[in-house]
Order: sequence, then structure tokens, then C-alpha cells
Amino acid sequence: MEQETGLFSVSIDFSQSHLFFPHIIHWVLFLLALSIVLVHGREIVRHVQGWSESYREHGLDYDRLRLLGTLVLVVAYFLLMNWVGQLFPNTGMGFLLVSIPFMALMSLLYVHDLNRRKLVAILANAIIAPLLAWYVLAQLFFITLP
Amino acid sequence: MLKNLTKTLCLAATCAAVAMPALAADGPLRGNLRVVIGSKSTGGDTYQNSAIVAEALAENIGINVKVDAVGASEAFNVLGRVSNGSVVMIFHDQSYLGNLYGVKGYDDIFAEYTVGPTVAINPGNAYLVPKSSPYQTIGDIIDAAGNGEKIRVAIQPGGVSEIGFSALKNAVKIQHPGSEENIVAVNTGSQSDKNQLLFDGQADLINGSVQANEQYTRLPEDDQKAMRFVWLTARKETIEQANPEGMGETSREDLLQYVTPNASVTQDGEKDFTFDKEFFFLYNKDMDPAIIEQIDASLQEIFDAGEIQETQKKSFFIPNFKPSEEAQSYLMEKRGQYEVIIDSIR
Amino acid sequence: MEIFSYLSPMFFALTAFGVMVGIVFGAIPGMTATMALAVCLPMTYGLDLTNGLALLLGLYVGGISGGLVPAILLNIPGTPSSITTTFDGYPMTQKGQGERALKTGITASLFGGLFSAAVLFLFAPTLADVAIKFSYIEKFLIILFALTVIASLSQRLLVGLFSGALGIWFALIGTYDISVGGNGEYRLMPEFLTDYLESGFSLLPVLIGMFGLGTILQEAERGVHEESLDSVKYQKGATFSFSIFKGQFVNLTRSGAIGTFVGMLPGVGGSAASVLSYTQAKNFSKDPDKLGTGAPEGVIASESANNGLTGGALIPLLSLGIPGDSTTAVLIGAFTLQGIQLGPLFIGENLDTWNVMMVSLIFANLVMFLVMFFAIRHIAKVVTVPKYLLYPGILMMCVVGAYAINYGVMFDVWTLLIFGVFTWLGQKVGLEVAPFIIGFILGGQAEVYFVKSLESFGTLTIFFTKSPIAVFLWVLIAISVAYSVHHTIRAVKRKKAGNGS
Repeated sequence: MEQETGLFSVSIDFSQSHLFFPHIIHWVLFLLALSIVLVHGREIVRHVQGWSESYREHGLDYDRLRLLGTLVLVVAYFLLMNWVGQLFPNTGMGFLLVSIPFMALMSLLYVHDLNRRKLVAILANAIIAPLLAWYVLAQLFFITLP
Repeated sequence: MLKNLTKTLCLAATCAAVAMPALAADGPLRGNLRVVIGSKSTGGDTYQNSAIVAEALAENIGINVKVDAVGASEAFNVLGRVSNGSVVMIFHDQSYLGNLYGVKGYDDIFAEYTVGPTVAINPGNAYLVPKSSPYQTIGDIIDAAGNGEKIRVAIQPGGVSEIGFSALKNAVKIQHPGSEENIVAVNTGSQSDKNQLLFDGQADLINGSVQANEQYTRLPEDDQKAMRFVWLTARKETIEQANPEGMGETSREDLLQYVTPNASVTQDGEKDFTFDKEFFFLYNKDMDPAIIEQIDASLQEIFDAGEIQETQKKSFFIPNFKPSEEAQSYLMEKRGQYEVIIDSIR
Repeated sequence: MEIFSYLSPMFFALTAFGVMVGIVFGAIPGMTATMALAVCLPMTYGLDLTNGLALLLGLYVGGISGGLVPAILLNIPGTPSSITTTFDGYPMTQKGQGERALKTGITASLFGGLFSAAVLFLFAPTLADVAIKFSYIEKFLIILFALTVIASLSQRLLVGLFSGALGIWFALIGTYDISVGGNGEYRLMPEFLTDYLESGFSLLPVLIGMFGLGTILQEAERGVHEESLDSVKYQKGATFSFSIFKGQFVNLTRSGAIGTFVGMLPGVGGSAASVLSYTQAKNFSKDPDKLGTGAPEGVIASESANNGLTGGALIPLLSLGIPGDSTTAVLIGAFTLQGIQLGPLFIGENLDTWNVMMVSLIFANLVMFLVMFFAIRHIAKVVTVPKYLLYPGILMMCVVGAYAINYGVMFDVWTLLIFGVFTWLGQKVGLEVAPFIIGFILGGQAEVYFVKSLESFGTLTIFFTKSPIAVFLWVLIAISVAYSVHHTIRAVKRKKAGNGS
């Protein structure tokens, strides 16, 4: 192909073409980050100072149990689902068997002022929802589940 | 009324679902078999061919077989991980061509996996020029390149789409040494991208297929979209097995015009290069050999019954069953030939 | 007329059945119209072509439409093309106008669907010839045009742009895929992750991770206090009436047209359509500040465009044999299975099939409207479900969707978690989610079209000189950018004035 020469000519080596666009994006990111620091720099410094001050006075203010509980539950959910799924290959059992306790535990983690009525609703939800999803998707539509 | 109908439909689907795993099998395969394929498309030839084979297998063995279009890299990953025989893979020549072309994510299938039986050929791999092109045959193109004309060929790099291009370049090298640089690849993606490059005049020759491009060859010459076949890479014997109606308005006779020896691209100065895209099974290296035997035996029964061949031919596939051992040595030999070509033009 | 012999009660029943199943798939976060078609494709083996198409077209229309339900009610886009629906739909729900937003969206969907069906019927072959005028260069400019929305969506311009660029960067992780013409080399990922990241992060798991899990983590941090999303009671006077569409005809038509047009360009795809039409709605709006805070206008633009897509994507399929998006790619399988060949001569050679498809498409849109319009009152109640029941359910469905989107890839489920945590932490340091996700959606295409244009022509000037279409697109881009800049400056001035007083 005729390559035009001049200020705007660009030639791309096919074997290296996978890096061409990422390079551009790296520059764009760098320049934008730089401008953010220049424009909003003072604002950021003030923000960080304010935050560390409030941290020294109050510590971190968040619902430790619910946040960490969520993260732990989700990781356990994903790991167990895959592991149980491999015990019963291609049946979607990993999904079904692990979703039920996961949903129950997560609901119990989130609920406030637990009472009998709420507990029944939670358990019913935890059993019916995964069962329904599993039956419709894995059994009726043959969708592969863990 | 509508609700009732829906209910009936749902019920029917439920019955079908429950009835599927009717009889337990005697062999080591039981329950649910997952077939992963090297393509992400559920509209493409790999999926279609795999679906036909999977359905026949399910019926013959009496198990559930599910085809999942996970794509090459994930399919190889899963296959490498699961050795209990609950996952097998169906793919085509891309699996070793990707490795020959050095594409990341493609290992040596003969070393990393067990190659299983072949089941079908897609004979449609084709090369086309614009209808108004000065080149009438693939021979014209080889000569033109020998005369110093630059030929831009739109292909998808790194596999099935590139092998014909490599063969063309190799043929030019043999017949007009030193001119092979005139065959230039325009690396692109899907069929629509390849067509588009032809419409734009950014390519002189494109890789395509009989199935996807036949109608374009029937457009009037003044249409920007009109194309013409110049070369089908399939073997003559392969096309001869197709239904006589061929594809669309292009009969089997017409197609044979574009196949060796009528359209000749030499492989080594003596015999012509051919390429058939063949679909075959791949297994985990440590999978129970009894499963390999069971699938071989089941496929043998299916192909002996003769029904699957009709289904395949209706979808423009050429039936091509070879049991595992035969398939292995055959495919290994096939790879060897292409390795020589790819090395010679590197 | 031959065509009536094909239109059996079965035909209509299958279309309606398809629509309903499609809506369910579309409404589940992570399940898409494409999946609905793929899983139902085997059901068509036993049907003849007409009935098979009826089912699949029903699924297509239903699947695209269902996406608005979780987008509006839960702030999770059910399909990538309903991402812009969340921008105004969810704020409306927060104001207690969920039902109103849903009905607005559905009506706009109906309009977009019928509009595009009409365009398909009347102009398909002509438009196919227009579509092939769009080469890599023009497609790149369309993507660039869509990316300009990042500027107008940003709360703080620089931060928004940075978020958008970061989204593009994430989209590039993995292999420069040979299936789009790349060289198959890895980039931007650590060695030990290559097994998982070879094909990069998938769009849907990223989307539902950011919007679904990201939100849940934020809530968990705050202790999940309110009982349900619907703590704000239904606003009085917020009930739906068609008068909401007064003065919106231009918006409806423009959005439907953009949807149809973008849909017909092979490879550009659905999400670009609604993003583009949302940008235009914002640019042309009398009150642009309102968009993004719960304006029905935004919902209309987004939904009219993504249903406009249905007819649009069928144009190249039926008049070039090339799918306009991933969903219509599945349709190709249905045709070949029935021994019908697609290509530029399809319509002429299969007039009956063509007419039947049109009937099915129009009927599907009407069924979609009726089913959803009257079911919506009940669906909208989902926001009254207590959070401690709702969130685990959402998470479970997100997992199913993520796992199933690529037909069973466990890493896609982990992607949920990665991007959930990323969003939750990112927002603390000012990450803007909407620009990020738009960058992520369009990044891959931007790269391919840009790099391939340069590979072919070897000069940057080609982007300006290739064709009149390119010049026209530049004009649109310039207007869009100028508008955003003007808007930002005005906002800054107003803020200063506000501070001064």
C-alpha cells in the first residue's frame, strides 16, 4: 500500500499493533491525571486532611459486621459453588446446594429486628428462589450452571 | 386462550426436559455430558455441526449432551482441568493451525490433549474477487503476483482463514521465486469486515465461504457488492460428496470449477494444495480411555445408521467419520504438511 | 395473498410465547436477548421456518425490551443496551415514580420497535447499500461520537474523562483478539492471570458487578437500614399518563432513528445506539441539566433507541447476510438449519418468509407492549420487597447471569466481585461510574476501528478526508464537544456566582 509521508503519517507494525492503542490510552490517562492534580490538587489535599482528621477523632465509621460479612460470604459462595459443582458435574447442583444456605445467611446478616415472621420469609425465600431459578434455567432451558 | 397455549407450551417443554435422560447407559458415560466448542458463536458452523453430533450422541447413548459456545481459550482451559470425562471439546483445524501460527493460547493439541474422532467437513472455505476484477482465475492471480503486481488479501490472521493465504504465497514462491512478497495480507476480522474491504477497494482478494458469499456472486456486475469465486480450498473428493444442488443457485458442478485441478495452487511444485476444515473431538489427556472407546463406538453406530449424514448434508457439511486412532494419525500428517508451508514463507 | 396461509394461530402463539420468555430473560440481570435466542434455538429444530422465526423474533423483541425493568427499578441494566435507561429511570424510581418510568419506557420501546420495523420493511435493501459505505474509518468516528457523551455525563469534567479513559483501558486487557483482526498477542495483564484474562473481562459481568454488587456493598457498609427501596412513598400525581409524551415526538423519532441506524451497522452494536441517542437527547434538550436526575425524556431516548435496534440489526442480516449484532447472529443459525440461505438476494427469493417476519416483528412489539404495560403494576412492586430479601436474590441472579453469559465460565463470576469491590472503593475516591462503563463498552471497538484504519491508510489525515460521511460525523462530534464545554463553563460560572452571593 502507498504510505503517505508527512507530519500525520503513521505506520503500524502488525506484530506490535497490540500495543499501539494501549500506548495512546496510557498517555491520555497520564495527561488527565496530571491535569486533575493541577486543577483539583488543592481540593484533594484539603479533602484528605479532612478525612484523616475525622479518622483520628472517630475512627472508621461503617457497619463492620455487615460489610465484612458480605465480602466473606460472597467469596465463600463463589468458591464453594465451584467446588460442590465439580462433585456433581454438569447438573447445576453446585449452584443449587450452595445458593440456599448463602441466601439464608446473607438475609440473616442484613435483617434488623429479626422476628418469627421475618425468619419464615427469609427461609422460604432462600429455598424457593434458588430452586425456581435452578429448575427453570438448568432443567427447562438446559443452561449450564456451576 | 393465549395463557392456555403458553401453559401447554411450557408443559410440553417440561415433559421434554424430564423425558430426556430416559435410559441410563451401560458405558462409563452417564448423566450429563458437556461439549465445549472453540467458537463463541451459536450461529456459526462449529456450533451447528456440534449440535448435530451432540443430539445424535445423546440419543444413541441415552445421556444429556449440552453444547456450550465458550470460545477457544476457555474451552482449552476447561478441557485441561476436567479429566473425569464430564467435558469434551469439539473444534476444527484452527486448534493446531493457531499453534502453528504462534497465536497465544494455542498449545500443541497432540501433546496437551487427546485427539478424538473426526465427524464432518465444512467444504465452504473460499477465495473471492470483485466481479469486475481483471483476475479470472486463481492462476491469473499467481501470475500477476509473479509479474510484480501487488495482491492484497483480506483474511483473519492466525488460523483457518490464513492457511489458504499462506498456500497462495507459497505457490507464488515456487512458481515465481522472490515474488511472494507481492501477496500481502490485510488482517481483519469477521466476514463482514472482509467483504467491506473488498467493497472499499482495500483488498483485491478475500477469504470467504460458499455459504456466506454465494448470493453475492449472483449480483449484477455493476453492483458494488458483486463478487466472483476464484478458488475453493476443499479437495475435489470432498465437493463431489456434496448434494448435487450445491448451495443456492450454484450447483455442485459449478463449485467443482473452483477446486483443484481446475483451480490449481501448487503445494510443492507437483501436487496441489488443498484444505478441508474438519471438525473433531478433543479430550483431556488423563480421561478414561473407555470413554474414548464408547464415543467411537457410538459414533460408528450413528454413522452406520446413515441418518446423520442426511442432516449434515442438508446444512452443507460433508460427513467424515474417522475413529480416534485413524483421526489422530491423519490429522498429525495434515498438520505436518501445513507446517512445511508456513515455515517456507516465514 | 400467499402469506395468510402461513399465519396460523400457532404462529401468533409462538410469537407471544417468545415475547414473554424474552422479557423474563431480559429482566434478569446478565441474561440477554442473545442468550434467550441461543437457549431456545434447539426448540426450533422441530418447527418449520415460519414458526421457528416467530418464536425467535418474539424472543428478540421481548429480550431487548425486558432490560428496562431492572434498569429502572434496581439500577442494574438487564442488558448492555439499557445502561442509559438507568441514568434517568432509577432516579425516577427513587422519587417514587417507578411505575411511571416503566410505562414511559415501554411506550417508547413500542414506538422504537414499530418505527424500526417500518424502516426495515420499506428501505432494507437501500439502507444496506448505505451501511456498506461505512468502513473502519466512519465506524471509528461513530464510536468517537458516542464517546463524547462521557464529557456531558461527567460531574467533574476532568475526573469524568479520566474515568472514561480508565474504562477504555480495562476494555483492552487480555488478547488483541484475532477474531477482530488483531495479532493475538497478550497485553496489560500480569503473567499469572493469563489463563483467566485471555479474553479480557466480559461486558455483562462487569456491568452487573458494578451496578449490582457495587451497590450492595455500599449498602452493607451503611448497615442496610431502610427496610426497602421504596422508603419514599409513591408520589402523588406521579401516575403515568400519555401526556408525558407531549413535546417528545421529535425525541422519540430521533432516538428510534439513531437506534435503527446504529443497529444496521455491523459490528457497532446495541449499547452504542442507546448511548448515542441519549447524548443527542441531552444535547438537544431544552433543559439538559435535568437529564440524569430523573427526566422521562432520558428514558424515552434510551428505550426508543434500543428497540429501534431490533429492526435495524435485521437490515444487514436480511439484505447482506451479515448480522447487525450478536443476537441476530444466532438467527443465522436458525436460517441455515432450515436450509435457507441469507445474503443480498434473500428478500427477493423468499418474499413470503420476509412478509411473515414483518408480521411477526410487528405483532411481537404489540404483545410486548400489552404484556408489560399491564403486568407492570405488579412488577413495580419489587421495590417494596424488603432489602434483606431482595439483595440476596439479586446477587444470586447476578451470579447465574454472569456464569451463563459465556455459557459457563467461572471467572465471569469472579469478575462480578472484582468490579463490585472496584466500584465500591472507586466511588470513594471520586470514580465516575457512568463514564467508566461507557468507556469500557466502547473501548474495544474504538481500538480496532482506529488501528485498522491506520493500518490501511497510514495517515491520520484520512479520518478527515475519507468521505463526506466522515466530514459530517466530525461536524457532529464538534457540536457535541462544543456543547459539553459550553455547558461545563456555564455550570462552573453558576457555581461561582452561587458561592459569591
